[in-house]
Amino acid sequence: MTGISPSLPPMPAGRAPARQRRSALRRLLAQRELLLVALTLAVFLVTFAVNSGFGTSGNISFLLADAMPLAILAVGQSIVCIVRGIDLSVASILGVAAVSTGFLAQDHNASVWLMLPLALAIGVCLGLINGLFVVLARIPPIIVTLGTLIVYQGVQLLICGSRTVVTVPTFYITLGNRNLFSDIPYMLVPGLLVTVLMAILLRRTSWGRSLYAVGSNADAAFRAGIRVNAVLLSAYAVCGMLAGLGGLAFLVHYDSANGQSGIETNIQLWSIAAALIGGTTLTGGKGGVVGSFIAALFLEVTIEAVIVLGVPQVWDSAAVGILLLAAILVDRYQSSGTSLRQLLAATLARGAQQRPERVTGERR
Amino acid sequence: MSIAVRRHQPAGVRPGPPDGSDYVPSSYEARQIAKSFAGARALTGASVRFEPGTIHTLVGENGAGKSTMLKVMAGVHRPDAGELILGGEQLRSLTPRTAQQHGIYLVPQEPTLMATLSAVENLFVGILPRARLPFSVDWRAMTQTAGSYFEQVGLDVDPRQPASTLSIAQQQLLECARALVHRCNVIFFDEPTSSLTAHETEVLFDLMRRLRGRSFTLGFISHRLDEVFEISDRITVLRDAQIVAEFLPDKVTREELVTAMVGKEIAKRERRHRDLSGAETALEVDGLSASRAFSEISFSVRRGEVLGLAGLVGSGRTEIAESIFGVRPATGGVVLEGRPFRRRSPASAIAAGLIYLPEDRGHHGVFANVELERNITAATVGVLPRFGPLLRPAAEKEIAAKAAERTRVRAASLQIPIKSLSGGNQQRAMFSRWLLAEPKVAIFDEPTRGVDVGAKADIYSIIDSISDSGIAIVIISSELEELVLLCDRVIAIYEGRVVSEVAGDEITLERLGSMIVGEVAK
Repeated sequence: MTGISPSLPPMPAGRAPARQRRSALRRLLAQRELLLVALTLAVFLVTFAVNSGFGTSGNISFLLADAMPLAILAVGQSIVCIVRGIDLSVASILGVAAVSTGFLAQDHNASVWLMLPLALAIGVCLGLINGLFVVLARIPPIIVTLGTLIVYQGVQLLICGSRTVVTVPTFYITLGNRNLFSDIPYMLVPGLLVTVLMAILLRRTSWGRSLYAVGSNADAAFRAGIRVNAVLLSAYAVCGMLAGLGGLAFLVHYDSANGQSGIETNIQLWSIAAALIGGTTLTGGKGGVVGSFIAALFLEVTIEAVIVLGVPQVWDSAAVGILLLAAILVDRYQSSGTSLRQLLAATLARGAQQRPERVTGERR
Repeated sequence: MSIAVRRHQPAGVRPGPPDGSDYVPSSYEARQIAKSFAGARALTGASVRFEPGTIHTLVGENGAGKSTMLKVMAGVHRPDAGELILGGEQLRSLTPRTAQQHGIYLVPQEPTLMATLSAVENLFVGILPRARLPFSVDWRAMTQTAGSYFEQVGLDVDPRQPASTLSIAQQQLLECARALVHRCNVIFFDEPTSSLTAHETEVLFDLMRRLRGRSFTLGFISHRLDEVFEISDRITVLRDAQIVAEFLPDKVTREELVTAMVGKEIAKRERRHRDLSGAETALEVDGLSASRAFSEISFSVRRGEVLGLAGLVGSGRTEIAESIFGVRPATGGVVLEGRPFRRRSPASAIAAGLIYLPEDRGHHGVFANVELERNITAATVGVLPRFGPLLRPAAEKEIAAKAAERTRVRAASLQIPIKSLSGGNQQRAMFSRWLLAEPKVAIFDEPTRGVDVGAKADIYSIIDSISDSGIAIVIISSELEELVLLCDRVIAIYEGRVVSEVAGDEITLERLGSMIVGEVAK
């Protein structure tokens, strides 16, 4: 220290303002990850009670493997959401990576260990293109990635021509559908690795810190000496890279890929939904990747449960939509200063042509 | 006509008569208004009553709550608590639109006209006169009547001219005409003169006097005490989110008014007398220019010296500081501790030992949703203790806690988002962020904007003690008292140029007051 120690009298004992006291419910909701694990287990157990087939080891392993392409995409999506961005093009990046590696595997029996860096590289390149448009051209990310979603989709179709990937080497199928041991599928390994690695990078490195700072307030971040453009660019590159990895995961899990892979299931929207349910916000500066990973599992279990419970399949999307809105409401409640009772009172009061703020005002 | 009828007027009502002849004078009162913004208290139980036929001025330092009060009363901000009473009737859930329907109009500090629309469209926007066909507008009637409104407010422009071609003064007069169109008889002016010339100000004052003659209820905000004494019938003083005094202009002296605005706690502080003639130069700015904003700015600061940059809002003070720090481009040289500082950017400035505390804390300072701890370490993440590539949370927490203690940040925990702190504590946290960077040269832009008296005193002692430790300090402030109290030397910026300089005991309120309006007299 260069002697910066103002000789101020000691700090008077701080009294916690009322707003900082938090109810038990609010603290529980703040633990988004735990809440999601609990909810996932609850959905699983209810479905298991109705149909014991849901709990067989084969099904558990399938659910885990089946959720991984989405989970990996959701982790990447969370990174761009933290910098107050969004990436709609992940579906096409996944598709391009899946068909590129797929044809090499089908036609040339290429090793999966060579395809892994290729998929990552494809993802990084396409992600960097997104980032460059966002950073240099200052186009809003939703527009940039809507554009590149369509352009990359064209690239995916161009690579396919009239063909599709239908047969891949056996090792690919093993990786995508067999278990490492007991009920743990090989697929879980990259998913977990990516999530844990990103979680550590987000929490414990300058880069991670910069992401939150830029997302919270880019002007302030610039003035705090953060290289905002580089940080934004890196976020899109990482998101693209993970979408590329997601493409390879897609290929090995489904043993096939075609010109519509990715976009036909709207996986880009699902990845955003998973990120939001996991506690990341579109307004930036908040969230993490662990929640997104669990949220992807939660979505997978919920959708499969809807099928198993015999609800018509058209309700799949409705279920996810409702979950998404519920997650946003929980966010709103958890971060607001009002108690649940006040929130309800305010809602009722609004019905009676009064403003919520008046109700809270009178309580003071 | 009664207020109750007005409230239910449909969107397409007829405009009011240009001379305001059908108005019913009414007083407008705010009782016990409280309002906070993201934890920063702007008003705490403030009451004020505006009477018809009176020009009532609110004065106070920046952040005292003047604008907030008028904005609450005009429906722009919703108060957290308190009542608004217009002519005996309580107004609930006021929005700008319902306020106008009640006859209340706020002329904002920066006019908010629609730049691409014509003057006449801006005048009638919201109540365009209807023609006979459904959904059609009676353009002829609009253009014909516009002239008489413009005449009433003393505005001489072509009604078809786009609003973007009007001067600020003309735009303000157009806002006044709009108030007449909306049948408003309670008109608030939020610092209208800050960007007007002396002549334009007189035109506006003439209009205000004429409206007063017609028993309008008028509210006014200004920082210029001459104007306040010239135009006001009543003066209310706000300080630290509260009403502290109310005066009649002929029964109060300038000094009494300033004391009420500034508060005794601050006024008691003594200037420090220091001899810095032997100290080395820490920052040298040589011929710094940026198109339009400023030109040929040269000055230097010694180690341990506190240099004030005085000037009106818009004089280029902040732009100069931002250019030195590398936020905006400029030509010319900057020398830091004897070394030329080229390729300027905030990152390289911080690395070279130069820091800049921005004036707009909300937009350029805090990361609102992020924890206090990370807000404090934000500018120094690169040099925090590490284990390999990974930050060490425990060590970081200790560093942040120490830094927070040094600047007396009061918070329940370091882990709460900074937005839940008061303005004063947020600013203390900003100081701890920048002191952690161990600067050699510090630029503080409006260091006490929007903070309470206690935080202000703390910030003054922080500035004193870091300057004693040999750090060169540049202070930009609109509060001249602050410059008098803190600075060893003050230079005045006027229209983007350094126009004058004073040092030591010659730094007085009067002297600075004339310097910032461009007077060079020695």
